[in-house]
Amino acid sequence: MQLAVDVQIPECFGGVAGEAVFIDTEGSFMVDRVVDIAAACVQHCHLIAEAQQEEDHGKALETFSLENILSHIYYFRCRDYTELLAQVYLLPEFLSEHSKVRLVVIDGIAFPFRHDFEDLSLRTRLLNGLAQQLIIIANDHKSAVVLTNQMTTRIGQNQSTLVPALGESWGHAATVRLILHWDNSQRLATLYKSPSQKESTIAYHITVLLILSAPDVKFCP
Amino acid sequence: MDWDQFDLNPKTIAALKKADIKSVKEILNLSGADLQRLMKLSSADIQCLLKTVSHALRRNSMLTALQLYQDKDYFTSQHQKLSLGCPVLDSLLKGGIPLVGITELAGESSAGKTQISLQLCLCVQYPYKYGGLESGAVYICTEDVFPSKRLQQLIDQQHKLRADVPAEIIQKIRFGNSIFVEQAADLDTFQQCISRRLSLLLARGMVRLVVIDSIAALFRCEFGPAEAALKARYLQTFGAQLHSLSTRFRTPIMCINQVTDAVSESEAAQCSCRIVGSRVTPALGITWSNQLLMRLMVSRTSLPGHSPGAASHCTGSTRTLSVVFAPHLPPSFCYYTVQLEGVKGIK
Repeated sequence: MQLAVDVQIPECFGGVAGEAVFIDTEGSFMVDRVVDIAAACVQHCHLIAEAQQEEDHGKALETFSLENILSHIYYFRCRDYTELLAQVYLLPEFLSEHSKVRLVVIDGIAFPFRHDFEDLSLRTRLLNGLAQQLIIIANDHKSAVVLTNQMTTRIGQNQSTLVPALGESWGHAATVRLILHWDNSQRLATLYKSPSQKESTIAYHITVLLILSAPDVKFCP
Repeated sequence: MDWDQFDLNPKTIAALKKADIKSVKEILNLSGADLQRLMKLSSADIQCLLKTVSHALRRNSMLTALQLYQDKDYFTSQHQKLSLGCPVLDSLLKGGIPLVGITELAGESSAGKTQISLQLCLCVQYPYKYGGLESGAVYICTEDVFPSKRLQQLIDQQHKLRADVPAEIIQKIRFGNSIFVEQAADLDTFQQCISRRLSLLLARGMVRLVVIDSIAALFRCEFGPAEAALKARYLQTFGAQLHSLSTRFRTPIMCINQVTDAVSESEAAQCSCRIVGSRVTPALGITWSNQLLMRLMVSRTSLPGHSPGAASHCTGSTRTLSVVFAPHLPPSFCYYTVQLEGVKGIK
């Protein structure tokens, strides 16, 4: 939800000035929370503008309002994997019509695919197809594609570990993988797979308004 | 499937009928190459077919976040929630229980889970204006007998609990008539209950709340440790069915869960232990947690520094209701007591 707001930050504040597509499979998109995040973002930009006093800041802020932000988040609710597949087939056309979209979020990709599949090879095939289409969309429309996934337990020889759901082959679909987890009461984010950065972990907080990183917590390489 | 109703050219329609393709789902389950081979059509025709059926399935499905925010309609709005019947508890949850999704209420025995659920079964029957959904409730018991005496007590005392509602409105509601009690002691009965009774009651608009007391009882005895994968599959299937009913009928599903002792530090840290300081974790593990929209935990606490004078008007000990996770709420908690007229939060 925060990404869908942040993608809209005007360029003079360091943002991308784009719009967002949000595909919700679990029904967890709570618009009240998005409103809180958007309001905080607008306020944050106002504070920057006051401190720096540049001309284009003022102009950008005229259009960067709560209603504007909300109206540029395009929300699709998919209730099963068939609806999700259909929606992804229609995405390229939608993105051509809405050329300012710079972010596509699917929250979550695992939910519709983890039940209802007697035939796992069908699931793998559909997921691969989906991944290919999303990669094409990301390239053709210069848009970031972010997927959220669930964790599942893998029972090993001596112990069980938490691994991302949807299996090994799905792991190849993503270019970058970020794992969010807890260490006692501290939230951590680990960069698990990346073509350009090394594996590292940082801590973060979710406050009432925004997600902030916690600079004074050590990270584990 | 009547392919003629779609906006397809006759060649495609003929190919669909010849290949004996019966549903949109079948089409989307096949890759482009498979469809070409099966229907002997060109790649362009197949792309056109995919776009057309996708359009038909997803027509008019886009909303902007602004439209969601401004939607005030009682049936569709996200702002509409199911009140718990107490302003303190409602403000912890920013209005109440969300209408779409599975909410879990976990806790030790006698922490008050059944009390809260019974109270919800009454709250749902009030008009929208008073936080209800103007409909009945289904209460599925999986282990204990339904507490009908306690329900009657609560019904008799509604005027005391809901002082915000005019007496004539309370008197008009036939509370007992709209609570449907089902017994389901094993998985098969439960499955039947969901697919038949529940669907029927929901489709007829007779209920807009489902309480399952408790979900853990169904799974704890029937599966040994070696059958973890099978148990996970059942959990996912039931979770998905409940989720689907909840979405279709905009009906909250309240699942009561039991707790087990947290075995490791990390497990304990994953749930509400940060708040309550206890070392218990809800049963059924991560597979079940993934199905939930929101998790609440209740526990008995001793309120530190509670003066003896103040304790005299509480008939029971103080309990804690905490939000473990929810997409729209921070981890937080409040205290409440269980009184004759129901569950009431303490400011």
